[in-house]
Amino acid sequence: MDDEEDHQKLPDLVKELILRLISQNNNNTIDSPNPNSSHFQSSLRYAHRILSSRLNPSVAPDAAAIADSVKRRLATQGRSSDALSFADLYTKFASKTGVGSVNNKWAVVYLLKIISEDRKNSKNVDTSVLLPNLSISDAQLGKGSSSGSRVSRGADKGWSNGILLVAKDSENRREIAFREFVNLVKEENEVSEEVLVRDVIYACQGVDGSYVKFENDNVGYVLSEFVKVPRGTRTMVQKLCELGWLFKKVTGFISRSMDRFVAEDVGTVGQAFCSALQDELTEYYKLLAVLEALSSNPIPLVSESASSGNYLSLRRLAVWLAEPMVKMRLMADLVEKCRVLRGGAMAGAIHLHAQHGDPLVHEFMRRLLQRVCSPLFEMVKRWVLEGELEDIFAEFFIVGQPVKVESLWREGYRLHDAMLPSFISPSLAQRILRTGKSINFLRVCCEDRGWSDAAAEIATDIGATARRGGFRYGETDTLESLVDEAAKRIDKHLLDVIYKRYKFKEHCLAIKRYLLLGQGDFVQYLMDIVGPELSEPANTISSFKLSGLLETAIRASNAQYDDHDILDRLRVKMMPHESGDRGWDVFSLEYDARVPLDTVFTESVMARYLRIFNFLWKLRRVEHALIGAWKTMKPNCITSNSFTRLQHAVKMQLVSTLRRCQVLWVEINHFISNLQYYIMFEVLEVSWSNFLSEIDVAKDLDDLLAAHEKYLHSIVEKSLLGELSQSLYKSLLVIFDLILRFRSNADRLYEGIHELQTRISESSVSSRNQSKSRKQLVDKSVDQGSWIADGRKALTQRAGEFLRSMGQDLDAIAKEYSSLEDEFISQLPVQQHVDLKFLFFRLDFNEFYRRASPN
Amino acid sequence: MPREIITLQVGQCGNQIGMEFWKQLCLEHGISKEGILEDFATQGGDRKDVFFYQADDQHYIPRALLIDLEPRVINGIQNGEYRNLYNHENVFLSDHGGGAGNNWASGYHQGKNVEEDIMDMIDREADGSDSLEGFVLCHSIAGGTGSGMGSYLLETLNDRYSKKLVQTYSVFPNQMETSDVVVQPYNSLLTLKRLTLNADCVVVLDNTALNRIAVERLHLSNPTFAQTNSLVSTVMSASTTTLRYPGYMNNDLVGLLASLIPTPRCHFLMTGYTPLTVERQANLIRKTTVLDVMRRLLQAKNVMVSSYARTKDASQAKYISILNIIQGEVDPTQVHESLQRIRERKLVNFIDWGPASIQVALSRKSPYVQTAHRVSGLMLASHTSIRHLFSRCLSQYEKLRKKQAFLDNYRKFPMFADNDLSEFDESRDIIESLVDEYKACESPDYIKWGMEDPNNMMTGEGSDSGSLDPKSVV
Repeated sequence: MDDEEDHQKLPDLVKELILRLISQNNNNTIDSPNPNSSHFQSSLRYAHRILSSRLNPSVAPDAAAIADSVKRRLATQGRSSDALSFADLYTKFASKTGVGSVNNKWAVVYLLKIISEDRKNSKNVDTSVLLPNLSISDAQLGKGSSSGSRVSRGADKGWSNGILLVAKDSENRREIAFREFVNLVKEENEVSEEVLVRDVIYACQGVDGSYVKFENDNVGYVLSEFVKVPRGTRTMVQKLCELGWLFKKVTGFISRSMDRFVAEDVGTVGQAFCSALQDELTEYYKLLAVLEALSSNPIPLVSESASSGNYLSLRRLAVWLAEPMVKMRLMADLVEKCRVLRGGAMAGAIHLHAQHGDPLVHEFMRRLLQRVCSPLFEMVKRWVLEGELEDIFAEFFIVGQPVKVESLWREGYRLHDAMLPSFISPSLAQRILRTGKSINFLRVCCEDRGWSDAAAEIATDIGATARRGGFRYGETDTLESLVDEAAKRIDKHLLDVIYKRYKFKEHCLAIKRYLLLGQGDFVQYLMDIVGPELSEPANTISSFKLSGLLETAIRASNAQYDDHDILDRLRVKMMPHESGDRGWDVFSLEYDARVPLDTVFTESVMARYLRIFNFLWKLRRVEHALIGAWKTMKPNCITSNSFTRLQHAVKMQLVSTLRRCQVLWVEINHFISNLQYYIMFEVLEVSWSNFLSEIDVAKDLDDLLAAHEKYLHSIVEKSLLGELSQSLYKSLLVIFDLILRFRSNADRLYEGIHELQTRISESSVSSRNQSKSRKQLVDKSVDQGSWIADGRKALTQRAGEFLRSMGQDLDAIAKEYSSLEDEFISQLPVQQHVDLKFLFFRLDFNEFYRRASPN
Repeated sequence: MPREIITLQVGQCGNQIGMEFWKQLCLEHGISKEGILEDFATQGGDRKDVFFYQADDQHYIPRALLIDLEPRVINGIQNGEYRNLYNHENVFLSDHGGGAGNNWASGYHQGKNVEEDIMDMIDREADGSDSLEGFVLCHSIAGGTGSGMGSYLLETLNDRYSKKLVQTYSVFPNQMETSDVVVQPYNSLLTLKRLTLNADCVVVLDNTALNRIAVERLHLSNPTFAQTNSLVSTVMSASTTTLRYPGYMNNDLVGLLASLIPTPRCHFLMTGYTPLTVERQANLIRKTTVLDVMRRLLQAKNVMVSSYARTKDASQAKYISILNIIQGEVDPTQVHESLQRIRERKLVNFIDWGPASIQVALSRKSPYVQTAHRVSGLMLASHTSIRHLFSRCLSQYEKLRKKQAFLDNYRKFPMFADNDLSEFDESRDIIESLVDEYKACESPDYIKWGMEDPNNMMTGEGSDSGSLDPKSVV
């Protein structure tokens, strides 16, 4: 507000001042000062130039020092009383503070000092000490009979100043020579310099002059060849006209872009660029206007006799235009570079020119880039704070695409590298991307509104810093801190939502417990009740029935205390089956992750879980079968007493068959249980505890996804499901099949032995029913089978045959098993994966296999 | 569908350790003395229904049968602070209340007479379970009721519930002090036969070792029965943790025992526990890492079975199987490291005739019981040195038998009527062959053992005991 008022006030004050000065000086003249007179106008212009100049005296702004020097001077001149009164006055002046006092005290003192020195030294010292470069117009003004007091004084005293300081002594030889030279030049030139200057100024505005015209062939403004000018002048004109060419290029770009604003894809960044260019051009126009005005004024020369040229010579023009030339070149360069670029790419291209040693260029580029980048920064702001992708012209370095909800996080948004300006580092860009993505994920997948609070907080916090530092190009720190702050809070909020509201950890645990069979009792009951069903051909199995059985298993086990939301998601899944498949081949469990957790548990992730489940389920089935076999073989199931009446040879056969069966069981069970221990400790639990510690330090959803991916990967790799262990896995499956065969053989063996036992005891009872029987048979009415009728001999024979054939079967299995296991174990030490060496270590804990194999 | 386990506590000792066991389970599951779930016991994750069932009024009732022939201990329970915990229908006391007089034959005979009553109770409990897994018998082998009646129950259970598991916690008498039961060697031998033939798993609780541990490890100068019994209850509850806190493996009794008992006959398990404390004594807090715990479990001084082996035999002794149940907060990676360390140091000597390894089960700790140590461990192991315990039983029996001492008490009962002492001989043969089998397990040739000499294998051969076999029902 103040600024604006000041802006209004200042020109008026300046006008007022000049009016007064002129009228004071014109005391002796009749005219009252006319505000419209050219004299007044030029004075005014002069005043403006002084004021707008950024020239500083080469004196340190120290009021006390100046005061001291004044005192000293007065003292040395012997005017000590004056010095004292000055000191007195100065202290009074300096002590004045507060409203109404002069702020810039040293400047006032300095001004007064300069003025007084001016008065004293006017004979031999150039006033331009004060305002060195402005004396051009000073001189011009000085030509007029009446002007500002100081200038008129200078004129009265008969001196002049300027770049061309011409000695006033008419007898000076140099002046004579110079005058002669000028005449000579005048004769030589067909066209006067003034005209050329005018033409050049026209050209610089993109307009053809009388001699300098735009030629399409040469692509640029050239001085017509028919005009006879010295070579130097021609070159000069040529050089100056480059500005015109550059100007034309820039304006061409702007107008082309303007035309396309609505219809086409110039984009907001392009628009900002054009408008920034236009602002720069406005400055340029102003300068040209001034130059044009100046061009008609002749150089003020002191001696009337000397014929002076126009003030604005080509050389002076060159000086004037040097700075615009640099800028214009830069602009033209940018325009050229940006012709086909848009959006972030354009900002990036411009940014590449910003790293410049010249402070002028640097400052210019900074100003330009701030304008150009503001739409981009606005987009970043909206994206990280609101998750809005406000980018109708596709200029932003983040692009969204419509995807299904579950893949929103992974595929919904991505970085558009071409549009990424180089002043935003890729890592920052990633953070920006993720923050907005998090917001969108919260909004779309989690149906969460809480993020807006977090965003509002950030906006307030950042608002404060933005006022201090500004949120624009060049303030990379502010941008980073905004993004970091937003990312931190949004990510934290997102993780909170995922953990608390969507119970991520609980679901992971549930998957571990049900799909990875961690809940042992549940798995056991499921195996118990689903097992018989799964032995049927796959196409006869009803998945409804299995679902019912799953429900039963849940209710029978501790799973029943689990959250209902979790249990609801656990389902039976029947995989597609081929003819000949059994239920075992197609049965599996699946877990319905649902939005938004399906971002973590995607279909492919679940497919991997499914593979792990299938493997673990197979392993469990084998374990279950082995335990079942143990139950039929359990310690109190056979007492050998009943076999006393068998022939010795048969008895030996029985003992040896049983022993072989047991030892084989020991070996197989050792293998399976250690495989299980390995899976539990080295695979599942270790991966799980690593996973948990990674979850704890996860800062955003990406970390979480990576942690989960690592977890799943380590399980897959270590449980032989990876690419590298294909052959191991296959041989493992063969071993599993063999174990199932062993189980049925063992069952048959024991069934046969039990039957034998029954027959023998029956036969002995019937043959010795008169002898003392201490023990009553619980059930004598078992059907009197053919064995007894055949008598002892036949019984023995049958038993012998049965045991022989069982023994052979067992031997075959044992042989096959040991060759398979040897093969499997021999592969372990050479595996890439270090954990498989752990498996080997467990399997061969007592070095049984090392001893068995010769090498 | 829990894998229910029915506990039978028989005799004075059986009821005492049984009582301690239930006390411990109640504490761990947050069940009050009245059988009501405490308010704080909400954390779940445990399975109470393996050992308890819920009455109509939500009371938790132990699946336990309290059986004795004399009323002292059971009356004590019924008047004690846990009197409302048990189902009173499950208490069996003989009408005469005279006990078995430390006579195995008396206990066995009385068991036979009350078979129907007791089997009714067992059947009722079994019918009340969805999928009965098996029975646990707590008894001592030296007295009369626990040994004799326990033996009879073992035979009956084996007969009637042949598909179910039968596990026993058998207390072996203290050999260091002169027992008031002079016929202890007879009782032990006769019981050992049933434990060998009719049980699936016998957890040997050696009173000698328990006393030693109480004196040496717990620094109790004169340990009471209550104190040694609390050691027993610690072991019993720890060995059932994997059943009560389901994890990835070892969630049922059969799964637990299968790997521990690879050869059917060698089903006698030793136990070890660390760190040991008794009630109100928390002075023995040590650093408890998995390795510490596992290493200590392998030390003989922590094993609750006395080693009577001579040095030469001891060096030959081998582990057939080991299961360490580690409770508490354990980093699973430590398990592997500990195993590696144990193997490097060759701290454990396994059988040569087959693959074997230390199995480790991690189990949760009850959240309601505060302990000073982070990790505790129980070892269940089948070790061949246990044969020396049986050898000692045998030699003590031989001494007594040579003198024909105290046999009259046995002849009063039908089994030994008409001076038929073949039961003793048969039992002796069976124990002898058991000792031999354990010895054979120490050699690499176990697989071929017994093939050359059938007499070693075919226990009871030669006697006319074909009809003795109680397992004629298939």
